[in-house]
Amino acid sequence: MLRLDRLTCGYGPFHAVTELSLEVPAGNVLALIGANGAGKSSTLMAIAGHVAVMGGRIIFNDTDITTEPVRTRVRLGITLAPEGRRLFPDLTVAENLTVGGYSQPRTAEARNIERVVTLFPRLGDRLGQLAGSMSGGEQQMLAIGRALMAEPRLLLIDEVSLGLMPAVIDVCYAALGQLRDEGLAILLVEQSTQRAFDIADSVCVLESGRAVWRGTSAAARKDPALVEAYLGLTG
Amino acid sequence: MNYSDLLVQGLVEGCIYALIAVGLTLVYGLLRILHIAHAGIFTLGAYIGLLLTNETGSFAAAFVITVVVVGFFGMAFYRLFYEPLLDKPPHVALIASIGLFIAMEEIYRMVFGATSLSFLAPPLKDTVTVAGVRLEEGRVVVVVLAVVLIGGLAVLAGRTRIGIAWRATVSDAAMAESFGIDLARVRYVNFFVASAMAAAAGIMVALLLNQVIPTMGGVPAYKALAIIVLGGLGNVRGTLIAALALGVIESFGTIYLDRVLDRDAIAFAFLIAVLMIRPQGLFIRR
Repeated sequence: MLRLDRLTCGYGPFHAVTELSLEVPAGNVLALIGANGAGKSSTLMAIAGHVAVMGGRIIFNDTDITTEPVRTRVRLGITLAPEGRRLFPDLTVAENLTVGGYSQPRTAEARNIERVVTLFPRLGDRLGQLAGSMSGGEQQMLAIGRALMAEPRLLLIDEVSLGLMPAVIDVCYAALGQLRDEGLAILLVEQSTQRAFDIADSVCVLESGRAVWRGTSAAARKDPALVEAYLGLTG
Repeated sequence: MNYSDLLVQGLVEGCIYALIAVGLTLVYGLLRILHIAHAGIFTLGAYIGLLLTNETGSFAAAFVITVVVVGFFGMAFYRLFYEPLLDKPPHVALIASIGLFIAMEEIYRMVFGATSLSFLAPPLKDTVTVAGVRLEEGRVVVVVLAVVLIGGLAVLAGRTRIGIAWRATVSDAAMAESFGIDLARVRYVNFFVASAMAAAAGIMVALLLNQVIPTMGGVPAYKALAIIVLGGLGNVRGTLIAALALGVIESFGTIYLDRVLDRDAIAFAFLIAVLMIRPQGLFIRR
């Protein structure tokens, strides 16, 4: 599904990520973990096309998309639920979902809204409400729902749990688990390492823009250094 | 002149201001460019509308053709002058826009002459009585046009996919693009709509004054700037209210302030007074 081949990306002369290689197969969740500034969000933004790639390749379904514009990537099936959600606050929930499905035919909109509302019933009661007036948890549900409107095959999701109550986090992760079971590939950035380990099939640890550990989630739990560095502090 | 006359006259003026200023705030909202040359496009609409009316004898046909042609001119204007400057600091586009406005006035002077042009047979000059107030037909048409065009804009923005895409782009262009919205297309549509509305205002001002001169965009340029600041930069609803309010205040001001303030100075006196109380404008845009 997604393969990064020695990806280097960043901002101006600054390399946020250096020679990162990883793979996310269909129906799998890969969690990127690491400290602030490790390059996790930059990796997602580079895959989505928002951060300049300085070296390496991004392969999606055997197609090199390294130089493809943002709009092409969403049409190929890559969507981003970014850090801070970045909803359109002056648009209603329904309008946010319409924007999310802009790359799809108009005829698909009602079906996709139905799918989102089934996944997050709370959004169904708030379709006419301005997105900016909703609670943080509802906004996160909308951010995920908006991304799903594009009928993605790869979901890039950044900081699902940040600032949310545990009950809301449970709802979001239950939805992600269901989407994974339906065959969606998910590349997840998460500060809550425990949550990331719970859902991820595999884990990649970044430090200063470089991958320093890769393996399955089960192996990560057994690695004393990782447990002490991440679960010990944040788990 | 009684209060209802002053109120109606003020609302008519406010509708003209709204047609000009809404376009200006649309451009600002999307691109963060203070499009001073918008007033030059307003003047272009006046010239084309007048010349086509004199040539064809049909004001209605001239109006429709002018609005469409100037709309496309606005798109070309964006492509030629603003698109190359999008990655530059905002003051670069502002300076370019001021220069373009001055250049447009000089081009009009060279092409159409420094003296005024007039309609050969001025249309819509009969008077009608509306709610007890006698008005020229042209003034009634101004109000109808403002309602239709701005109402149409509201429908476009709120009910259509491209309108929702446009509002999303105003809110967060990078995120809008990441869902497949073509930013260039949204910007072209934006300039078409803004320029078409300026052209409509230009023709109607030409009609009401029965004259077109190269510098007729000067006063609307600064008044529209005052209006969009009052309305909250980029806020269409606020701009609409500020335009109508300014029209009414000017109308009453010409009676009650005429010994201390020129009519055209009232816009800035109003602007200064409001900004002293609410520096963010009357209507805050998030």
